[in-house]
Amino acid sequence: MKILIVEDEQELAKSIAAYLSSNDFVCEVVNSYKLGLEKVSIYNYDCVLLDLSLPDGNGIEILSHLKEIHKTEGIIIISAKETLDNRIECFQKGADDYLTKPFHLSELLVRIQALIRRKNFQGSNVIKFNEISIDLLAKSTQVNEKEIDLTKKEFELLLFLIGNNNKVLSKSAIAEHLSGDMADMLDNHDFIYAHIKNLKKKLNDSNCTDYIKTVYGLGYKWQND
Amino acid sequence: MVWDINGKMTKKLLQRTLRNYIVFSFIVLIVSAPLFYFFTENLYLKDADETLYLRRNEFVKFTMPTMKKSDISIWNKISKDGKIINFKNSHTNNKLFFATEYDHYTKENEPYHVLESKILIDNEKYTLVLRVNLIESEDLIISVFLLFSVILILLLTGLFIITKKLSSNLWKPFYDTLNQIEQFEIDKHKIPYFSESKIEEFHRLNDALSKLIENNIIIFKSQREFVENAAHELQTPLAIFQSTIDNLIQNPTISQDQSELLAQLNDSVSRLNRLNKNLLLLSKIDGNQYNSNELVFFHRTIEKQLEFFTEQAKSRNITINYSIQETIPLKANPVLIEILISNLFLNAIKHNHQDGFIAIELVNNSLIFSNSGQTKKLDTAKLFQRFSKINPSTHGNGLGLAIIKKISDINNWSITYDFAKNSHFFTIKF
Repeated sequence: MKILIVEDEQELAKSIAAYLSSNDFVCEVVNSYKLGLEKVSIYNYDCVLLDLSLPDGNGIEILSHLKEIHKTEGIIIISAKETLDNRIECFQKGADDYLTKPFHLSELLVRIQALIRRKNFQGSNVIKFNEISIDLLAKSTQVNEKEIDLTKKEFELLLFLIGNNNKVLSKSAIAEHLSGDMADMLDNHDFIYAHIKNLKKKLNDSNCTDYIKTVYGLGYKWQND
Repeated sequence: MVWDINGKMTKKLLQRTLRNYIVFSFIVLIVSAPLFYFFTENLYLKDADETLYLRRNEFVKFTMPTMKKSDISIWNKISKDGKIINFKNSHTNNKLFFATEYDHYTKENEPYHVLESKILIDNEKYTLVLRVNLIESEDLIISVFLLFSVILILLLTGLFIITKKLSSNLWKPFYDTLNQIEQFEIDKHKIPYFSESKIEEFHRLNDALSKLIENNIIIFKSQREFVENAAHELQTPLAIFQSTIDNLIQNPTISQDQSELLAQLNDSVSRLNRLNKNLLLLSKIDGNQYNSNELVFFHRTIEKQLEFFTEQAKSRNITINYSIQETIPLKANPVLIEILISNLFLNAIKHNHQDGFIAIELVNNSLIFSNSGQTKKLDTAKLFQRFSKINPSTHGNGLGLAIIKKISDINNWSITYDFAKNSHFFTIKF
């Protein structure tokens, strides 16, 4: 899948590209408004990551342009600007999602996956990982064709882990994903442990392979050995 | 009379002026009243003497030559204030003196001025006693006193009215200016307007104040913008920092030691993020970016967050008691109310101990968060200030309570802290 990153901060763009590339994404990076406009006019992408404050123009104009030429790329705004007006303006002009800097790359990844799923939605919306299948609409999980009962948080956690397959997820990244806006406040990520433990137990009980690995000190990893 | 904040008595300008006027008038009147009295009495006595001499001269000139010895008794009978008595031997021809006589009619001792002079009737020596009834000193003093009292009252009333008029007219621009400055708050968006004054001093005062306020607003604004800009500018490097760590921890070759270091880095960048977000939030509230209000039900906001924070509390076995008795909506910004509630929750959890408790009450137009924690009262002086950490060991950034206070302030609610029965109470009164 093809992703265009329009971001003037080279290091950030490189980091994003590095993280996404190892998850079957092909990333192209441009660092100016002009180049971004050129790229989206010529090529088709599955998703465009768009920074708003570019040195030679406002990213919002690229949004407007995409709409004018009737392109249906999924667009995620990545911006340091965090005002309600700004968000509303972007959504009105056709953005699909809005991430405020700084963000975790794991969060960005699952947002992109969700966006692409929504765009390519054809009747069913099921994620499959070996013996696990997750129905996003029914919010149900099956292991080996057998339904397992997960809480809302465990369900979200499972999706987040599978989405970041083979990636080490820091506790803060998981905490922020699970608690949304409230995570800004948290300085204690101990509650993650309880959720991981419960999820692990439920998966084990239904004879699922133990994919969740603890990475010492750092966090957890969904690993398909 | 007004008592100022330091407990010192302050007086109004008018009172101060009037007091001086009153003191001065009193002194003048007190000094001048006896003078006036002596002067009047002197004048009066002189006049009385003159009358006596005139009457004697008239007697000597007109009555005496035709008077017979036999007429004396008749004359004595008809003349009230004159008597002819047998000659009293005295060294001088005329003798003036004071005398008092009991008056049966008025039942008072009446003062008289008496003149005794030697006269000749039928070539025999007699003494003519002429007297003049004097005003009693007492009466004179009372009159003078009454007169001066009337003058004093008139004078003071006049002074009071004139001063009051002057003060309200002359000092009106001053009081206008005073009112304006009293209402001025630098973080509010209302700049005081001073009315034009034709009096040079007031004009200067207004000019100076306008300049002072203008400069302060500029400094205040630039300071606020600086915080906002700084927080904003930090977001991009933080994003790079964060994403670099996110990538770095993917490296399969990192050792256990390295991963511990990375975990520390990760914690630090999370703290930096929180700190920055809170700073940004404070400067946004200052910058009036949360000014759209709607009806908010507090209990709904609390209940929405209750699940999340109950989960947070569970890891330290803290119980949360929640009781509502009021479900009145308040006009406020819903985003800020969410932030307010979550900060209160977080504060109650963060400064709690293992197996502690949190109680939330919504009663009597107040929201009360109480929690167990350290067993002594917190330092209230610094509690709500930015970056004043209550407990240095926690990873809080010292902005939580400042944010709570700020949100209360902009909604004109009061926030108070209390410590009782080993519980810390934070009460917001709407």
